[in-house]
Amino acid sequence: MRAFSYERPETLADALALLAANGRDARPLVGGTDLIIRLRDGTARPRIVVDLKRIPELRPGIETTTDLLTIGATTAMTDIAAHALVRQRFLALAEAAAVVGSVQIRNRASLGGNICNASPAADTATPLLIYEAVVIVAGPGGTRRIPIRDFFIRSGETALRPEDLALSIELPIPGHRTGSVHLRRTRRRGHDLASVTMSCLVDDRGITRLAFGSVGPRPILVEETTGVLADPGATDGAKAALLETIFSSATPSQGSMRASPEYRLAMLRVLGRRAVAIAIDRLAQP
Amino acid sequence: MNDRVGGSPRRVGGYGRVTGEQEYVADIAAPDALHVKLVTLDCARARIVSIDTTDAERIPGVKFVMTPAYLPTPIPRFGPQFEDRPILAVGETRYHGEPVAAVAAETKDAAESAARLVKVEYEALPAVVTLAAALVDGAPLVQGPEVRPGDPLSTTNVLREHRVGWGEPEALEADKADLVIENVYDFPMVTQFAIEPHAFMAAPDGDGIVVWSTIQHPNWLQRVLSRILGLPLSKVRVLSPDPGGAFGGKQHAKYEPLVAMMALRAGRPVRLVLTLEETFQAVRRAAATIRVRTGFHSDGTFVFQDIAADYLIGAYADIADRVVGKGSYPGCGSYRVPAARILARSVLSHTTPSTAFRGFGAPQVNWAVESNIDAGAVALGIDPLELRLRNLARRGDPFIPFDTPADGDWEQAARRAAELIGWGTPLMPGRGRGIAFGIKSGPTTGLSYSTVRLLADGSVVVYAGTSDMGQGARTVLAQIAADELGAPLEWVTVVMGDTAVVPYDQQTSASRSTVLMGNSVLHACREIQARLQSMAARLYGVEESTIVVERGIVRVADLEVPIPDVLVRGLGRLGGELIGIGEMRKEADPEHPLGGSAAFFEFNCTAIEAEVDRETGDIAVIRHVTVSDVGKALNPLQVRMQDDGAAIMGLGHTLMEHYIYDDAGRIRNLGAIDYRIPTSMDLPLELVSDMIENEDGPGPYGSKGMSEGALIPVAAAVAAAVRDATGVVIRDLPLTPERVWAALRDRP
Repeated sequence: MRAFSYERPETLADALALLAANGRDARPLVGGTDLIIRLRDGTARPRIVVDLKRIPELRPGIETTTDLLTIGATTAMTDIAAHALVRQRFLALAEAAAVVGSVQIRNRASLGGNICNASPAADTATPLLIYEAVVIVAGPGGTRRIPIRDFFIRSGETALRPEDLALSIELPIPGHRTGSVHLRRTRRRGHDLASVTMSCLVDDRGITRLAFGSVGPRPILVEETTGVLADPGATDGAKAALLETIFSSATPSQGSMRASPEYRLAMLRVLGRRAVAIAIDRLAQP
Repeated sequence: MNDRVGGSPRRVGGYGRVTGEQEYVADIAAPDALHVKLVTLDCARARIVSIDTTDAERIPGVKFVMTPAYLPTPIPRFGPQFEDRPILAVGETRYHGEPVAAVAAETKDAAESAARLVKVEYEALPAVVTLAAALVDGAPLVQGPEVRPGDPLSTTNVLREHRVGWGEPEALEADKADLVIENVYDFPMVTQFAIEPHAFMAAPDGDGIVVWSTIQHPNWLQRVLSRILGLPLSKVRVLSPDPGGAFGGKQHAKYEPLVAMMALRAGRPVRLVLTLEETFQAVRRAAATIRVRTGFHSDGTFVFQDIAADYLIGAYADIADRVVGKGSYPGCGSYRVPAARILARSVLSHTTPSTAFRGFGAPQVNWAVESNIDAGAVALGIDPLELRLRNLARRGDPFIPFDTPADGDWEQAARRAAELIGWGTPLMPGRGRGIAFGIKSGPTTGLSYSTVRLLADGSVVVYAGTSDMGQGARTVLAQIAADELGAPLEWVTVVMGDTAVVPYDQQTSASRSTVLMGNSVLHACREIQARLQSMAARLYGVEESTIVVERGIVRVADLEVPIPDVLVRGLGRLGGELIGIGEMRKEADPEHPLGGSAAFFEFNCTAIEAEVDRETGDIAVIRHVTVSDVGKALNPLQVRMQDDGAAIMGLGHTLMEHYIYDDAGRIRNLGAIDYRIPTSMDLPLELVSDMIENEDGPGPYGSKGMSEGALIPVAAAVAAAVRDATGVVIRDLPLTPERVWAALRDRP
């Protein structure tokens, strides 16, 4: 591991000042499940690592109001996966948080870290997309809100600037009934990086949202409003035609050793079909 | 009584392993030890132009950078079959990860930083990483002809050819059979993935040297170091703490000669602990492409087996060519085959040197031959189990004509497995069953000494050169001594892993230790029992011949006296102890194709029920049954654990494990993220291990060696279950979801 300096600021202002002063030479640290590995293998070579775990504004936790669920950016996957309201209203997010890495990793890895790392295969990205989450960001100019659909730019790059920090993620609590699910494709059943991620939400107004990842440089959200996908009575053929259109934007990597583009595209369709069916089932459950 | 043979007492040394108390080579306190980091190139094959260590040696804490310039000329080479591996690459590198230099520094970080600053000027050269590339005319030679002077193959990448066969050559002609099935099968490169990475430490020791290593064969290493360093054996002390898994990957010397040379140069201890990635570059199993022609009569009995197996070994031979010869030799399996022709070739390539790995070359050919048998059963419309039973060798059959006859009731194991899987009962939709038999030749030669001391209070010390790398040898050897000498198990200490203290043992391999070292310890105990017999005769004033000493008891007429009672009185006021020396040999046979007949065979029957997701290609192993013929389970729990482990390891290469190389000969999936092994989530829903015990083995109490057999037939049994479930036949391992999906998509 190459030498770097380590700072553990006690205030948000100090953390932002450190990031502003060091730009791309600084790396924020929360769970470290991505960063430590990259420090060790030399693919990340920051001059300074800024540990965010002592900052009061960044304490982990999940807060709810009548129409909003707010997850602190440093909240660990384990806590998200186990949270009663997340499980009740945002089940796809709970399911995604429950399959990130292994048990030990989930105890450390944070939601903020997972999305800011911006892996196209990040499990929590697609559920946040279907739930229309908003990322609350602190930067030198104050706090701003970035809708999740504008957050991911490409692999390893988000709408954050080097001097920004994600504070929390807001999920609007739907005012109507929904059914949702998260599915993924891996090379084995045990912990693995996903070669396709797929989240789906249907609601009682007939709207379907599908978000999928690991088949292009950024996870993609598509909303389908004709009501056909969400219709339990619609034919498989009709749904398949819609899914073809939805998945036409997928551009899986040609050079990956995890799965060929052909397999990823085929599995996108399989997971898409299965996800829609499960989401419809869940919507129908009392 | 649980301490005794046939019981399953708590594993000796198990507590230390699970609590982290046990010291591995990396854990041994040596505050003055320098840290070593290997310097490697970013390609497999390169011509080394120059090595500049100036910048590296400026890093604070760096003591020196070892390069070939500091080593004797010609550079010392070593290897168990060919002395082909140099201590450091000279002139040319031959595989990705081969060290060209090594840094010694006060800290790990300094060593790593300096290793990156060693400037190696080199010219990357074309590398051969596949069988096709290695065998094409004009392929670059991995090793020059000088390694094998006078050998006509020395101008090719074929290191050696191994031929075995019987029956008349005409018997292999197609018109002799009612049905001939011919197919080509592929087996991937996989790695042992011991949880403890290889580690090596060396320190000058007076006028000699002491070397700590994760090695399985400390006595073999002692010989290698003695030769290279020009020291008598008595001045080379090898300490080999119980390894944390080995699976064959730690049998022979790897970087010990380098570390020893560095310690002598430093004048102080130096230690090298490999990373997981470096272990991938250090050891693996040979890949293979196997063409099988099987001739059948219409009733399913075999007419012939015609097998041509090319094993892709690495850049240096290590023990790989022996793996090829010994692994392919029982290639026809556990069957009566009237005519056989087996040709196996070890083919060099610019890849990680392949070496011993659980199953020792047998899993590759077994995968092909058992799958081909399954294809024959389907074509003939005969149940695959029934077809196998029609051909299976029965006890005493000379199924390999010039070798040990069939030494077990193998049908019993097969029928037990069939019963446990519910063979022939109705299946749920989407599921299928497969069955396969596996066989492995046990050790062909052996020499194991041991010393057993019965101390004055009746406690026992056993000195045995076996390495307990997790297979449980400590426990089994302690059980034998406890049983024979009448001591509670916790009164037995087993000393291993120190060539200065423990007598010679040839090696820990080929599932030999229960049989060979077990017999050696048994003999040592018998020597002590003979002395107890004399003692008792003296104490009781009776003829020695009327006294029987066995299993902890001295029988004098109608009296049954516990051994310690006789011992304490017999030793008298001065106390003392009784010492027994054990020796167990399995002599070589120079006329035999393998240099010796099999001490025993490991037979296993594996039966699988699997479910295939036709949309994704996922295989779920619903039930995995593995039944081994073990002669006698000295410790039934350990036997089951070994078979469980072998079964799961077999699922690794069957379902997911394989190296992926790029064109420059670099391993693309170098590390645990993209080289996947089964986790607890990937286990069969039910894993059932069972054993057959007929007390018909050559080991103590009728035991046989075991722990490799349960790995051998896994791939063929799983593939047969997939075939049964879907009708799709796949001849390439691993059976990844994508491969199964593609086969389902492409089926006619």
